[in-house]
Amino acid sequence: MLTIALDTIREVSRRKFAPAAIALTALVTILTGWGFWSLARLHTANGRPLSFVEVRSTTAFLVIFGAFLFSFVLAFGGAIISAPLLSTDLESGLLLPVLARPISRVSFVAGKAAALIVVIGIYSAVTAFLQLFAVRLTTGYVPPHPFAAVGALWMLATVVLAFGLALSVQLPALASSLIAVTAFGVSWMVGVVSSFGIAYHNAMLIRVGILSQLLVPTDAMWRFAVYQLEPVAMLGHNGGFGPLGPFSVVSPPPIAMVWWTVAWIAVVLTVAAGAFSRRDA
Amino acid sequence: MHSNKAAIDSLQLTKAYRSNDPPAVADLTLKIEAGCVFGFLGPNGAGKTTVLKMLLGLTRPSSGKALLFGRPIDRPHSRERVGYLPELFRYPPWLTPREVLDYHAALAGVPHAGRMTEIERVLSMVGLASRAADRTGTFSKGMQQRLGLAVALLGHPRLVFLDEPTSALDPLGRVDVRDIVRGLRDESTTVFINSHLLTEVEQLCDRVAFFRKGRIVADGSIDGIVGSSRGVRIKLDTQANGVATNALRAFGQVRIDGDTIALSEITTAQVPDAVAALVARGMRIRAVIPLSRTLEQRFLELMDDKC
Repeated sequence: MLTIALDTIREVSRRKFAPAAIALTALVTILTGWGFWSLARLHTANGRPLSFVEVRSTTAFLVIFGAFLFSFVLAFGGAIISAPLLSTDLESGLLLPVLARPISRVSFVAGKAAALIVVIGIYSAVTAFLQLFAVRLTTGYVPPHPFAAVGALWMLATVVLAFGLALSVQLPALASSLIAVTAFGVSWMVGVVSSFGIAYHNAMLIRVGILSQLLVPTDAMWRFAVYQLEPVAMLGHNGGFGPLGPFSVVSPPPIAMVWWTVAWIAVVLTVAAGAFSRRDA
Repeated sequence: MHSNKAAIDSLQLTKAYRSNDPPAVADLTLKIEAGCVFGFLGPNGAGKTTVLKMLLGLTRPSSGKALLFGRPIDRPHSRERVGYLPELFRYPPWLTPREVLDYHAALAGVPHAGRMTEIERVLSMVGLASRAADRTGTFSKGMQQRLGLAVALLGHPRLVFLDEPTSALDPLGRVDVRDIVRGLRDESTTVFINSHLLTEVEQLCDRVAFFRKGRIVADGSIDGIVGSSRGVRIKLDTQANGVATNALRAFGQVRIDGDTIALSEITTAQVPDAVAALVARGMRIRAVIPLSRTLEQRFLELMDDKC
């Protein structure tokens, strides 16, 4: 399993994913720093500099908005790196001599999954903390619980990655990544819709939202992340939209949802390993 | 099941991809002793690769059993010290041959201490030592097949499966592969060659099986399959005449055509005596050519739909 995992990490680095991610992260960090530096020095139309509270509240909202976009990057990244790993590589002949070695298919899938979860975790942490450091340096703002937020984003990416890997047992790379990303998108949309249920006390919409979060827990992890990034004064503010929409929550999903997500990932990967063990090469 | 000492021992191994279709492999019962170079012959689509993939645990049999050196094929440890060159060979283009081999050596359990020596050994065997640091993405098909062969030979396997091992190689490469297989035979390694290149199989294999529509239709030594010699053709350096006919009549039926004598029904053991009889009568001999059926002729007979 360790040999498979190390080879997978090498593959990610050699396939130019890593250099591309490093270059993009560096670029985005520079742009983030420049953007927040400019924000801290903004003036209103009548020439008054923005007040401390205005800078802080705008920064807090933009950090959440940036995290929202980053969650899409992570979801797409998780789907794209996991999608070709099983079916596509098997059909191209790449895996035939590997699977003919004295290793079990379960340990093969476990090695691949472990490596990708570590890679996407490192990428999430490095990129997120570089952005937050740039924000801290230029505006002095630090969100309330950055580590918990990054952890939740990592889990969000892992959910998409695990789903993409499971789909890739039978489906080609394009179909696997498309379905995994679509599931993420639908979960996000249902999350937005369910926020209307919370705002208008509609039990059915709330139930649909909970069911969606149980089926594909990416939206739950996003809501967990956003709660960790929100200053207390902004809870439910949502950039002026109140509790509607994806940028603010009044209360986070219960902690049991985190354990549900961990179990969900474990079950999906177990199913993937089992299905791959039965798949003909 | 037969004995658990055979390199390969299968009992009624069957694979049906769809329940309504005829099986790709039907009731394959096959025993290959350790040290044998076995040729598995058949036309495209006969099911040869499916057999090989089942034996390697890559494809699940629908029914039946098989053992590699006494170990059930559904267990990963049955593939310890087993090498495999797939027909569809492809290696990560972002790795060098040395890295590919290091990865496979780790998976195959080659001890870390002697790993580099082993990698260099197989690289030089297949003629890739000078390209060991280049990315495999820059390799031609032939070089990739050589790398595949090196992967299959890692760790001194006791059983090697070669699926169409020379399909991408030039004539020089084919000679190299023949030499490698002969070397494996000298080391008592069992070699299972899937091929439809009959000349190669004829030169290399101790035993062959003809496979057609998922079933073995003939199995045995090449002599056993092809049949015994049907005579010889003797070429003289002058025109043959009645003296030659008289000298050879005792050995079989004689037919003369210019400088060539066709001598049928002679046994292999009698050939030196027949040649001596001609030489004793002052004739000079340029060539003695056995008149036997080739493996190709036998293959065509067995694969004929009317058979």
